[in-house]
Amino acid sequence: MRRPSASRVRTHHAVSPWLFLLPGLAVVATFSLYPFLTTVHKAFTDARTLTPGTWVGTANFRAMLDDEQFWTALRNSALYVALVVPFTVLLPLLLALLVHKQLPGVAFFRSAFYTPVVASVVVVALIWGWMLDDRGLVNALLHTLGAGPVGFLGNAWLLLLSAMALTVWKGLGYYMVIYLAALANVPRELHEAAAVDGAGALRRFVSVTVPAVRSTMVLVGALSSVAAFKVFSEVYLLAGPTGGPAGQDTTLVMLVQRTGTGLNGRVGYASALSLVIFVIALLLMLLVLRADRKEDL
Amino acid sequence: MRRTPAWEKTLRYLLMLAVLAVTVGPFLWQLSTSFKGTTEDIYTSPPRFLPEHPTLHNYREVARIIPVWDYALNSLKVAAASVVTNLVGASMAGYALARLRFRGRKAAGIAFVMALLVPLESIVIAQFTMVRDLHLNNTLVAVALPGAVGALNVLLMRNAFAAVPREIEEAAVIDGATAWQRFLRIGLPSVRGTLAVVAIFAFMGAWDDFLWPLIVLSDSDRFTLTVGLDYLHGTFTQNPRLVAAGTVIAVAPLVVMFACLQRYFFRGAGEGAVKG
Amino acid sequence: MPLSRPRRATATVPLLVAALALTACGSGDAGSGDGGGSSADGKPEGDITFQTWNLRANFKDYFEGLVKDFEKQYPGVKVTWRDQPAEHYADKLSADAAGGTLPDVVNVSPDLSHPLAKAGVLMNLDKEKAAARFKGDYTPEAWQGNTLPGLGGSYSFPWYLNTGPLFYNKALFREAGLDPEKPPKSYDELFAAADRMARQSGGRTATLAGTPAIEDFGRYGVRLMNDDATKFTYNEPKGVELLTKYKELYDHGGLDPQALTNTPEKSGQKFLEQKVAMNPGSAHDLDTFKKNAPTLYRNLGITEAPNNTGRPNMYVMGLAVSRQSRHKAAAIAFAHFVTDRKNQETFGHKVAVFPSTKGSLDDPYWTKDDGTDEGRVRVASAKMLKGAVNYTPVVMSEEMKTVLRNEVAKALQGKKTPRQALDDAAAQSDKLLRQS
Repeated sequence: MRRPSASRVRTHHAVSPWLFLLPGLAVVATFSLYPFLTTVHKAFTDARTLTPGTWVGTANFRAMLDDEQFWTALRNSALYVALVVPFTVLLPLLLALLVHKQLPGVAFFRSAFYTPVVASVVVVALIWGWMLDDRGLVNALLHTLGAGPVGFLGNAWLLLLSAMALTVWKGLGYYMVIYLAALANVPRELHEAAAVDGAGALRRFVSVTVPAVRSTMVLVGALSSVAAFKVFSEVYLLAGPTGGPAGQDTTLVMLVQRTGTGLNGRVGYASALSLVIFVIALLLMLLVLRADRKEDL
Repeated sequence: MRRTPAWEKTLRYLLMLAVLAVTVGPFLWQLSTSFKGTTEDIYTSPPRFLPEHPTLHNYREVARIIPVWDYALNSLKVAAASVVTNLVGASMAGYALARLRFRGRKAAGIAFVMALLVPLESIVIAQFTMVRDLHLNNTLVAVALPGAVGALNVLLMRNAFAAVPREIEEAAVIDGATAWQRFLRIGLPSVRGTLAVVAIFAFMGAWDDFLWPLIVLSDSDRFTLTVGLDYLHGTFTQNPRLVAAGTVIAVAPLVVMFACLQRYFFRGAGEGAVKG
Repeated sequence: MPLSRPRRATATVPLLVAALALTACGSGDAGSGDGGGSSADGKPEGDITFQTWNLRANFKDYFEGLVKDFEKQYPGVKVTWRDQPAEHYADKLSADAAGGTLPDVVNVSPDLSHPLAKAGVLMNLDKEKAAARFKGDYTPEAWQGNTLPGLGGSYSFPWYLNTGPLFYNKALFREAGLDPEKPPKSYDELFAAADRMARQSGGRTATLAGTPAIEDFGRYGVRLMNDDATKFTYNEPKGVELLTKYKELYDHGGLDPQALTNTPEKSGQKFLEQKVAMNPGSAHDLDTFKKNAPTLYRNLGITEAPNNTGRPNMYVMGLAVSRQSRHKAAAIAFAHFVTDRKNQETFGHKVAVFPSTKGSLDDPYWTKDDGTDEGRVRVASAKMLKGAVNYTPVVMSEEMKTVLRNEVAKALQGKKTPRQALDDAAAQSDKLLRQS
């Protein structure tokens, strides 16, 4: 890529960047990175909630390999990423395009579409639980169509899929907002020109919109991959604290919660799990970000 | 500007109505429950959607059981502080990452990515020990601190600044503008849309947070709204109508805030730069 | 800062969590007076904090009155009352215990006091003369219920007790052709009724919403642990027998289709929605039924939960005193004051829970049925409390409960035999127990 010519001349004071970064870095280092170092340390101990524990080397990681629950959880979290992310990248973009155009009343729709984002996940899961119940709304609809009833909440796979649908649904408005901000940067003339050319809606989408919001799509992809990998609330609330029937819907973060919290928490083991989650999420994020060649992170 | 053909308009409205039904429909039921009187069955199957005897009683009851206005004010303080610190901190950091060239930039970027990935569940107690050592436990300042500059917001701002065409800034460099001047006059006005996004994300994050304020705050007078509303799940009594009314009280300000901010999402590069 | 806590000189932030628990960790009997605060025998004075668990919403006036009365009696003491909401109480206690900010008097149940006592942050009341002298004020069952195995004593003053009947839906009983006035009394009758309910409704109406939990095994007469609470024994033949019966129940549609994932709250909700015919509950649930499901309330039947031991299950709450309290004498005096006979009885009149003080349950309020539903349930429950036990072993952590629940689910799904499932659950739990 062509380097901008201005970058060859001196554009700023040597310390300026660090002054710009100072507030952000200070907060993040103090309240996220530094505490996480203690987590890393604890991953190699047998610490519990109220006892600091002693050094045990890699025992926690070896125990993980034998832990049936860990593999179930890893599988579920990976599936979550694979099945949720394509939808959270594409659907909100389409939704943003739908409400991007200034039409009478569109402001109302934009705000309405954001409601699922702001509602607490507890309430949302409660409502979904009611809808997906054996005698809930969805089964009532299926019944009028002559199908069902489907036991969404009794079957481990259907529960996991329902939780995924819930995640996508709740993410619609969230990522829509990010796309709206990005779309504002797409010069309208581009669209107009393509329209004059007589380009069809689909071609216009592929050849004009996608390249223009490409780096945002990548960012949304990265953010939603990490969020999906670290999923907790949706599954916890819909499938219950045990992680679905016989724990088959447990995700990695649920396992951290189950083993590490409370007054008896096995903090050492939970920290080791956290470290594994962190490393996988980091790899995942870097992998997705590479899809955008302009990115240099 | 091209006129929108009638068929396209119709299609757009139909689609928007369909999405509306899917996104908002479930909440109407919650809203309806909050208006149901004490003589009505809440648990019927199939659920009944309209209250038979609509009443505001549940809202008065919520206000009687907990000092809901005080809690809302506490939440508002934390959320407002979080909006300001995030706008300032995230835009500055985002600008540096996107626009300034310096050694260590990559490392700084990775620091924010890593902060985004830290599983919060694993660091809550360490965070608490830290604010206690700072003598800040049981204060609203401590509630706001960990989220004062969100790593996600920094990355969003970085992305937004990176999308601004470089040409405008190059001219300013040649005119001798300092980095700070370019940030204020060219950078910020070009990313208003993302600033609005960061504002709403910061507000929402602070407003909705539950576990951290619960851990940090001890006096019930200082509780934020989400923590205080948890009192509606009584130890010996369950009243879903009150919980529903509480939910509406908690969500309404966020929807209103979004409605106010949403027009800014459309002030993009072109529009803003002219004004700046 | 309103906290009147011993400030430790931990300028070094890095050493997190249990800087203080360190000093006493593992040594379970480290309960006597020298925890770092004042002497427990002196005159009650100073500022103390008192923390309850989710009682502020409905009993604000009661607790503010208590504090006022106490301060009048002991002019040298100032009590700050705090109340924590329902959720994440254990996490809040963890943070406070780790940070050295535990309130002087704190509301705990035995499963919470056990890990706290083990980490050395609670006072052993049996070993503290100033506290032990009040032992006789409480019923032996209640004091026993707060005694922690392996830690040499009781770590909290007994507070309110709870037990409950089995509620059932007369309308659903009638529809299934069962006599609504003759609810099942024994386990066999219960399983037979459930079978009939499922067949008559074509699998539409289940009888129970949940899978058997540890207290169900206890009531069935299964020995849950060995005597020194170091090994789980619920996989004995009696336990396998109960799980086998539940498996048949599940296969025949006697359990709700979502039974494997239902939490107790969800089970209660299913009963309110009239989707299941029976649900265990408490005396105070009557109020909830009346308010939220008036139709159900008109068809509500109440019976005793079956048990094979002659000893019903009870839940106990207590007030513990922090070992780091700077005003131990005041803390003990206040904890005793809140749990004394008069104040417990007043509380029991406000909400349908039961006092743990000796003689209280002989009061006519708990022995004479006044003809109302509330009165009937209250008297029946109070009667049950004599000889009741808290079946749930205090050493059983949430994780161990999840282990049991998930293994039980595997047996019900047919993935394991009941015997295999319980063996596995006990083995996993024993392993967790050894680690702690």
